[in-house]
Amino acid sequence: MIPAELRYTAEHEWVGDTDTASVRVGITHFAQNQLGDIVYVQLPEVGAAITAGDAIGEVESTKSVSDIFAPLAGTVTAVNTALVDAPETINESPYGDGWLFEIEPADVADVAALLDAAGYEKLTGE
Amino acid sequence: MTSQSRRSPLHDRHVAAGAKFAEFGGWDMPLEYAGGGVIAEHTAVREAAGLFDVSHLGKVEVRGPGAAEFVNRCLTNDLGRIEPGKAQYTLCCDESGGVVDDLIAYLYGDERVFLIPNAANTAEVARRLSAAAPEGVTIEDEHENYAVLAVQGPNSTEVLTALGLPTDHEYMSFAEAKLGDATLIVCRTGYTGEHGYELVVPSADAVAVWDALVAAGEPFGLRPAGLGARDTLRTEMGYPLHGHELSLDITPNEARTGWAVGWKKPEFWGRAALVAEKEAGPGRRLWGLEATGRGIPRADQVVMSGDDAVGIVTSGTFSPTRKVGIALALLDTSTGLDEGAEVEVDVRGRRVAMTVVKPPFVRPSVK
Repeated sequence: MIPAELRYTAEHEWVGDTDTASVRVGITHFAQNQLGDIVYVQLPEVGAAITAGDAIGEVESTKSVSDIFAPLAGTVTAVNTALVDAPETINESPYGDGWLFEIEPADVADVAALLDAAGYEKLTGE
Repeated sequence: MTSQSRRSPLHDRHVAAGAKFAEFGGWDMPLEYAGGGVIAEHTAVREAAGLFDVSHLGKVEVRGPGAAEFVNRCLTNDLGRIEPGKAQYTLCCDESGGVVDDLIAYLYGDERVFLIPNAANTAEVARRLSAAAPEGVTIEDEHENYAVLAVQGPNSTEVLTALGLPTDHEYMSFAEAKLGDATLIVCRTGYTGEHGYELVVPSADAVAVWDALVAAGEPFGLRPAGLGARDTLRTEMGYPLHGHELSLDITPNEARTGWAVGWKKPEFWGRAALVAEKEAGPGRRLWGLEATGRGIPRADQVVMSGDDAVGIVTSGTFSPTRKVGIALALLDTSTGLDEGAEVEVDVRGRRVAMTVVKPPFVRPSVK
């Protein structure tokens, strides 16, 4: 359930490479399962400059709301607007069509500094 | 959850069904089930049938000569309006008119009333009744002696019929029945807005009755439903939940539950304060809010009209049926806000546009 090619944060987000200079960000299978049915998503604006650890959005289920934190410093280059009308995609495909946004990192080395799959697995006890 | 949390006799069944648990009034109860989730379980109740374990609800026996008359002098609703064999929604108020609890009273006869309070308030309701009870009337807190299972939804009658249980009694009435070795009470009640039944089952028989319902319900689309779905279902109906729409600080006049008050009765707890408030008009009143913008209101968020704070959200969620954010909110009556008014809720610093509506948000079909 934890894809080996991705990097992870302690806030249960994943970071993966794209074909461009940006990295793609989403929440993990563990996170979506903890939240339950996701019914609302608030995403950052394209072009926003973000600092690692900033709360830059929200994912809300029938019962609770969770902040989305910036996993890295950089600039938001894309957001998954399809989620606005179909937030349940995050439950159905957290590592695929349920991605949240893309960031061009201020420092590419920050990506490698995140948790690898084994480190994240240890964190969740999955 | 804490080590002190109490468990339903059906706990192992919920674990086996992959339930996520949450604490409700000191009880560790299923929130939702694996392979389901709040929305699927909610939809099953609206369109087919759902099976809830609500064993955390309290059970209090009031017995003895004059038991019904005694209860009628304490609780707000008028037991004189119903016959033995019927149940009634009623309130336990304090002398200031605040609500200690809302509960269901099953009237067996002059000498026996069975009460179903909320989990967290059962001990307090039993304590207040015990303190006031005349000689010969006994109050017994039987919280853990019975399980309560709710079968709710348009197919609920078929499920009970398949087990040979009675289904043709009127709304808000109850009947004793046998299922295997178990003697249970089948009541035509519920808190979902759908046609349904609540079964009061001796704890020792709970697992057998649960298993029988699950098996009999399969062809009718019955699925276990957790308390997450129970909350979205009751919020769509505008039904109050104690601790949210009713509390020691919120009166029945404010919460629009005055229909559950026997105003003509000479005596019930809180009567003087409630009659005075009713005549003067309450300072705030419960309304529904339906989001026109995107966003989900939540309890304790502030309702704004322009720059003015005009009320407070008591419950808020996403309506799986309407697919919008909905809320119940106490609005200050001095603002004159009425049905159709446009307001906003401050959702963590973001204003979400909402329309004032009269609940329910979804048409009930309880009868």
